[in-house]
Amino acid sequence: MARFKVDDVEYEAEAGTPLLRALDELGVLMNGVDVPHYCWHPKLSVDGSCRLCQVEIEGVPKLQIACDTPVRDGLVVRTDTARVQSAREGVMELLLLNHPLDCPICDQAGECQLQDYAFDYGVPAARMREPRRAAKKRQDLGKAIVFDQERCILCRRCVRFCREVTGTNELGVLRRGDRSVLETAPGLPLDNDYSMNVADICPVGALTTKDFRFKVRVWDLENVPGVCTGCSRGCNVEIGVARGNVQRYVPRRNDAVNETWLCDVGRLSYKEIGAPDRVRDVSVRGEHGLTPASLEEAIAGASKRVRTVLDEHGGAAVAGIASAHACNEDLEVFGALLDALGAGARGAPVPLGPSDELLVRPEKAANAHGARALGFGDPAPWLDRLGGGDVRVLIVLGHDLLGADFLGSEAALSEIGTVILLDTHQSALARVADFVFPARHPAEREGTLTNHAGRVQPVVRAVEPPFPAWTEGEILARLGTALGLEAFGSAPAPGPGR
Amino acid sequence: MVESAPLAASRTVSGEVRARIEREMARYPQRRGALLAALRWVQDERGWVSPEATTEVAEIFGLHPLEVIEVISFYNMLHDRPVGRHEVHVCTSLACSLRGARGLLRALEAHVGVRSGETSADGRITLGHEECLGACSGAPMLRIGPTYHENLDVAKAKALLDGLE
Amino acid sequence: MHATPHVTGYLSEHFGDDAFVTLEGYRARGGYEAARRALTALSPADVIELVTASGLQGRGGAGFSTGQKWGFMPRGGERPKVLVCNADESEPGSFKDRLLMERGPHQLLEGILIGAWATGAERTFLYIRGEYAHATAVLELAIREARSAGILGDRVLGTGFRHDVVLVRGAGAYICGEETGLLESLEGKKGQPRRKPPYPAESGAFGMPTTVNNVETFCHVPEIVRRGAERFRRVGTEQSPGTTLFGVSGHIARPGLFELPLGTRLDTLIHEHAGGVPGGKRLKGVIPGGVSMPILPADQLDVPLANESLRERGTSLGTGGVMVMDEDTCMVRVACVISWFFRDESCGQCTQCREGTGWIHQICARLERGEGRREDLDILLEVAGKMEGATICAFADAAAWPIQGLLRHFRADFEAHLGSEGRGAGGRGRCPFPHSFEL
Repeated sequence: MARFKVDDVEYEAEAGTPLLRALDELGVLMNGVDVPHYCWHPKLSVDGSCRLCQVEIEGVPKLQIACDTPVRDGLVVRTDTARVQSAREGVMELLLLNHPLDCPICDQAGECQLQDYAFDYGVPAARMREPRRAAKKRQDLGKAIVFDQERCILCRRCVRFCREVTGTNELGVLRRGDRSVLETAPGLPLDNDYSMNVADICPVGALTTKDFRFKVRVWDLENVPGVCTGCSRGCNVEIGVARGNVQRYVPRRNDAVNETWLCDVGRLSYKEIGAPDRVRDVSVRGEHGLTPASLEEAIAGASKRVRTVLDEHGGAAVAGIASAHACNEDLEVFGALLDALGAGARGAPVPLGPSDELLVRPEKAANAHGARALGFGDPAPWLDRLGGGDVRVLIVLGHDLLGADFLGSEAALSEIGTVILLDTHQSALARVADFVFPARHPAEREGTLTNHAGRVQPVVRAVEPPFPAWTEGEILARLGTALGLEAFGSAPAPGPGR
Repeated sequence: MVESAPLAASRTVSGEVRARIEREMARYPQRRGALLAALRWVQDERGWVSPEATTEVAEIFGLHPLEVIEVISFYNMLHDRPVGRHEVHVCTSLACSLRGARGLLRALEAHVGVRSGETSADGRITLGHEECLGACSGAPMLRIGPTYHENLDVAKAKALLDGLE
Repeated sequence: MHATPHVTGYLSEHFGDDAFVTLEGYRARGGYEAARRALTALSPADVIELVTASGLQGRGGAGFSTGQKWGFMPRGGERPKVLVCNADESEPGSFKDRLLMERGPHQLLEGILIGAWATGAERTFLYIRGEYAHATAVLELAIREARSAGILGDRVLGTGFRHDVVLVRGAGAYICGEETGLLESLEGKKGQPRRKPPYPAESGAFGMPTTVNNVETFCHVPEIVRRGAERFRRVGTEQSPGTTLFGVSGHIARPGLFELPLGTRLDTLIHEHAGGVPGGKRLKGVIPGGVSMPILPADQLDVPLANESLRERGTSLGTGGVMVMDEDTCMVRVACVISWFFRDESCGQCTQCREGTGWIHQICARLERGEGRREDLDILLEVAGKMEGATICAFADAAAWPIQGLLRHFRADFEAHLGSEGRGAGGRGRCPFPHSFEL
């Protein structure tokens, strides 16, 4: 370990670590120790071209770039001298020379490092009197990204991302000198599965997402930490909320889970929260099909039917299918309910899909691991027998994972006397269900999800659904109480949707 | 490995050049070292490196086409668009400028009827200017393809160009 | 260009003899005997010691001790090593390497062989700029001859030493003359210089330990081996021994190459050897080492042409490209020409260089048009100042120095373009040098 000083404060890091990386790993970079930078990124190779991170090293005549200065014992660094300030001003002035004054129409405003560093480290007035360099604006760079070549400061983070992280090489810098431009090859757009990450790492508004374009100003967003529910990786996200709706996900750094990345599919999965096909009403099936009802009516109706089956056939006639999307807390309650009922079969099907070597896992649900750990294994062995008449009550946590065909067929399902469905989104199951309860999405409540590696990650409420909804746990607890099960006491389940 | 050539219509880079590239690759510890030479030979065939040829070269080297496009765009002598039969470049660096190179260039622009960087309508001449060609004692000078012509005046230069077919 | 320099020395004395270009002709003049001696009678360490003792400075512009540079290569070891001969001569005002290759190819190969023996390199990549087609053809032939004669190959000159020279052509980019820019280009990429460390001796071409030397540097080596360090040092100055080929161009009666000892005075070169400024005009300024080096005014030409003395005057020997400007020359136009060069040739990586070279040229052009403001002169110096010592490679320094030099010695020219009220009057009519070269 090497001991080094920055602005008279002592730190320790492994000798040879580049200074900027060491500061980042110590958690002080731009968080106690100011070393503004553009081209360096914790998850990409060192570039060393922006020159903004110049610092003074004692004993070294020229300023050195912190991203490429190895830490050694006795290194003394100053970031607060006039020379450093002058160098920063120089770099900022040059980057702003030809940068278009797009702030009023640029999505990056408010989270733009050019704005931020110009304000903190730059010069107040422009001295540039030459016509500004014109370049391409509003370029469709691929399925998800809009490119503004004039705004680009040529930090080359995006180029390195496509080269080193996705290995797809769609981006490059053409020509040389002040004619250098970022480009794609004709006919070969930026379309890898992680393309939207370039918008995160782009320090300016050169690369922005089509999805977020002109949607909302970032200073109007409330940012809440969350977890993506697209697969069992459980990538950490920051949920951006404005006007009562989720406007976007961006990745939240977690070096143990997703580093600084998020796949495009996961990034766009926020749309499911505010989707028009959310289950909005508690419903009960009557003569005229499913009709809205109050929670109390539905619970009462459902518990009556379950009680009848229990009395006539016993708990073995009850089966439970959980969702691998449900939070651990809900699954615990479900397990307890099924135990108390003496229920027979239980399981949680996990849809599978393609995976890759980066983040995308084959299990397309956020809590597959948690479900298994809580006793909800693969239901396949007994699903075939569902329509055989043994099962008379089926309680399903759908979460839009199941189509009717997954469970045999609508015909088979309709042989089951009572299907109680708790779900976030409309599905084919609703067509045969007898009772439907609207469930909260993980972004609408507190809870935990366990990812593929067994990591338990919390979620908190980022947004309220615009209709009454409860966690599955709350609904199931009420059902337990209504059934008079001892484990659920006689009082309603704890609290409304947390 | 160079595969045996399929239909000629689908190939822009000739078998001969492909074989030459393969031999060149063996001279370097990493095959990519042969890229500049490969692009030059491809360019020699038609005067420029077309998008199709670029893609084929990328395939040969196992590169993404953009990596080849980047290289072509970086170097003065590699062209991603057609050029005239004769490339005429007037040196306009300091030593040559001190001795009238820029006036010479303007005279040639007028004579050929193009601006520097453009190709004559008959496809005969692409006229351009370049930085120091290492012939400072023979200023002003120009090169026509690989050949230097030094100690020029406007009359001599015009005559040279007129002699090009 | 002339086949021989106006003044010759040990490098160029035989350049007038066409046979010297051939292996037979070269051998007839004692060629490859120095290499034979080095390979058979001296150890690699001996050769490094000898070249270090000779004081030979690199002739590619930096002037670093060649022997010391060779000493940076790892001794022995598993990893194969390579030499690179930098034949990318592109510095405006320089044309010496071109002649050395066109008229003395075997001398270059001999120097390379000795360097290879000293450093343990198994191969030399001879990177020659794409525009030097004739020199390329000459070298190709010389290399073929050398291979046929067993001078290159598995048993160099009958010894157990293996070495070959791989001729590689550039494709037109000045920055490929920068050491690590060259290495990138050699590897088939854009010639964008690398951060150092690692230095080439540790990781250079294709990751191998590499030493990069200029053409002329290699050409001095056989002479050093022939005469020994002490006798080599008798020519030139204490710190800068040997000769160099000064290339004189611009407003001069006898442009061309002059092989003279380092330390020859600049005014001697210009007036005694090169015939002075023609047309009865006075001399205004001289760039001593290629456009990267700051200009000297007419009253400072009594300086010895060697790094140590030129650096005292705020400039440097560079590649010995001596560019002479007469009294009619508008230095603002000179600034435009030079700054355009650097703008065009910047690789574009570092912010200060990419944007700075662009801005500097734009300002010079606007000043030249008569649309300048007083603050433009301050901006030029400020931007140039922030380019120095602050980038991945020295190109930015080379771009900054000429502007600093022009403003230091010829500020009046720039002021004149500002007009009497400190604001430009527009149009070329106001340039105080109406007979200046056309821009």
